[in-house]
Amino acid sequence: MKIVACYSNKGGVGKTAASVNLAYAFAEAGNRVLLCDLDPQGAASFYFRVKPSQKLQNEAFFEESKQVAKAIRGSDYENLDILPANMTFRDFDIFLSRMKNSRSRLKKAMKAVGADYDIIVLDCPPNISTLSESVLQAADLIVVPVIPTTLSERTFEQLLEFVEGQDALKVSKKQIAAFFSMVQRQKALHGETMTRMREAYPKRMLDAVLPFATDVERMGVNRAPLLAFAPDRPSAKAYRDVFRELQQRLNKD
Amino acid sequence: MKQPQRSIMVLTGDLPDADLTTGIEPLRLEVRSDGDTAAFEVLDTHVGSVRQADQLLLRSGKRLTVLSGGDHVASQDALPKHRFVDDLDDGPVKSALQHAPRLRSLLSTGAGTISHRDIWVRDDDDKTLARARLTTLSPEGDGQAITITDLQPLRGYDKAMDWLRAHLAAVAENAPTGASNLADMLFPDQPRYDAKPDVAITADDTAWHTANRIIAAYLRVARLNETGIIADHDTEFLHDYRVALRKVRSVLSLFKGAYSDDATAAFKGAASELMAPTGRLRDLDVYLLAQDDYFAMLPETLHDGLELMFGMFRKERRKAHRSLSARLASDDYDNMIRAFQAAVEDPDRAGQGPEAHVGIGDFGSRLIWKRYRKVCRLARTITADTPDEQVHELRILCKKLRYLMEFFAPLYPASAVKPVLKPLKRLQDNLGLFNDYSVQQAFLQDFLDRHEPLGHKRDLALAQSIGALIAVLHERQKEERARIMTSFSKFDGPEIRSRFGSLFHDKET
Repeated sequence: MKIVACYSNKGGVGKTAASVNLAYAFAEAGNRVLLCDLDPQGAASFYFRVKPSQKLQNEAFFEESKQVAKAIRGSDYENLDILPANMTFRDFDIFLSRMKNSRSRLKKAMKAVGADYDIIVLDCPPNISTLSESVLQAADLIVVPVIPTTLSERTFEQLLEFVEGQDALKVSKKQIAAFFSMVQRQKALHGETMTRMREAYPKRMLDAVLPFATDVERMGVNRAPLLAFAPDRPSAKAYRDVFRELQQRLNKD
Repeated sequence: MKQPQRSIMVLTGDLPDADLTTGIEPLRLEVRSDGDTAAFEVLDTHVGSVRQADQLLLRSGKRLTVLSGGDHVASQDALPKHRFVDDLDDGPVKSALQHAPRLRSLLSTGAGTISHRDIWVRDDDDKTLARARLTTLSPEGDGQAITITDLQPLRGYDKAMDWLRAHLAAVAENAPTGASNLADMLFPDQPRYDAKPDVAITADDTAWHTANRIIAAYLRVARLNETGIIADHDTEFLHDYRVALRKVRSVLSLFKGAYSDDATAAFKGAASELMAPTGRLRDLDVYLLAQDDYFAMLPETLHDGLELMFGMFRKERRKAHRSLSARLASDDYDNMIRAFQAAVEDPDRAGQGPEAHVGIGDFGSRLIWKRYRKVCRLARTITADTPDEQVHELRILCKKLRYLMEFFAPLYPASAVKPVLKPLKRLQDNLGLFNDYSVQQAFLQDFLDRHEPLGHKRDLALAQSIGALIAVLHERQKEERARIMTSFSKFDGPEIRSRFGSLFHDKET
């Protein structure tokens, strides 16, 4: 089982759209996927039309692994389940580490109810302090959308500094996979920033580039992954490219 | 995989769209038909093996689908030339049908059209909460439509699935049902075949009526095999046909005194006349079915001769089949068997024998007891040196005893007859094999003596192979014979003896 965390310390960069479409792409490729909506705004759940589940009892939650399974909702798509936004991050640490440990009771219990997954995609909240250390540690890949502007370049550097400053986390830098998001080719600034960043972080920047497109915004109207309702649009193709590069990186481990 | 609760529910009726989408608020239900209807057939063996295993087997195009127990569906592809379960590629349908008799072909027992619909249950956000795929079978004729629903729940939406299940069941004409009666619902007029029909016998009935009824029942069984023999669906049709006629014949010889001598002779003549033209084809069937065994008996160096022999058998079989089919389809045959049926079905006809009015209870016990003692008397004289003829005679006596016990079985408690029948069956198995080996040697010798010449070299190959076969069969016959005495001593034990006595010879025990 692999954990892919979609994360950005800056809002409005297309993080949730990336989570939703990447989860869809993984599922489409035959993986059993659980998308965890950790963003309190619940946007990922919204895109899949999943209503927030009833308040979960935090204390008992992870003792009763059945309740995890109970909170999970099937999406309208094959192989793709959603865990709607509803938990505290402390709980989530435990959930992830237990899911990663194949001998844990949680993992076994989830398997028993047919809820064992090949890929867990996390749609993380945009606040670095609330994203706990162990979530970062548990992730096999941290996917970071970056808008190629000066400001985004700075926040990306901050993210790297944060990660590098956390030696105890054992988060290797190669686990970070960033891609350029909402790129407007006609803007010279975007082009320059992309060139500069590719030179600075050759191994962390993915080749695939997600263009700025209203198609992505239409997800809010259609309430479905772009890959599902407009699979042939350039943005959809770009998500697939991102997915392919992520898959290559995961397979390398 | 992730939807472990996926389940099958079988409903009656065609569940029209309008009914499905009525009374569902606040949920929404979308029905989508994939538009195409295709033809389907229900398949089963002549003896109803599939139905009796609580299954329904469908063929639509090249897809075979088996529904088991009303809640399990498996599918795989099959070609039209795949007529027997053994012919199918390995797959879930083949596995599910392993219980079916190997020699029985899968035959169409009815046809109709099949159509598919998908339904989605959604909430006010248009989120799918439950799905199902409906497969509706609409039979030709007066049968009832059946809808097989494949319920596909989504994780976390159990209530919606429960609702959908209840909704579908409410729209259906009847409650959910198992698979065994589906074939009857679809095709209520399809006759059922039973090679061993229950003939109602009561102890106070007369020998005359009972004999008439048993003969009539088995003539009917024989007739139900005629079309299958002509169509050459499988070899079991002819086999059953012959077994039924043999039963008819055995009633005539076993129910001594029920019919007058003249009537007995006339009926026996008719039965023999029906039986005679079937012998050659059956013999050839038996050899062709055992082809693999024969090849296994001989080293490869002798296989050329076997190839020749089986080639000739196949050719002769085609001829024998053509000739028997022509006979069964002829007016002559039809008139004759009809006359036979009409005769036994008319209780007021002449031809009653001295025992005609004896109550069947006493009659049966007396016959069984007499026959049993005869078997024992003969069997006890058999040693390693007894000529084969006596062993053959024992086989025939045992067969008659077995038939008697089967005919009169309804008069005795099944639990009492079963333990007596078991050692008898085992003894008969030995005797049967002993006989088969002996008959096969004679058949092969005869074939060798009389076959049309193939040219020196091939005649020689044929003679070598057949000679070797006869030697092997002779050896096997000797081995089987050694087993007969052991089987008999088990049959002749004090326990079986006392059971026979108390069942069939009450007065003297």
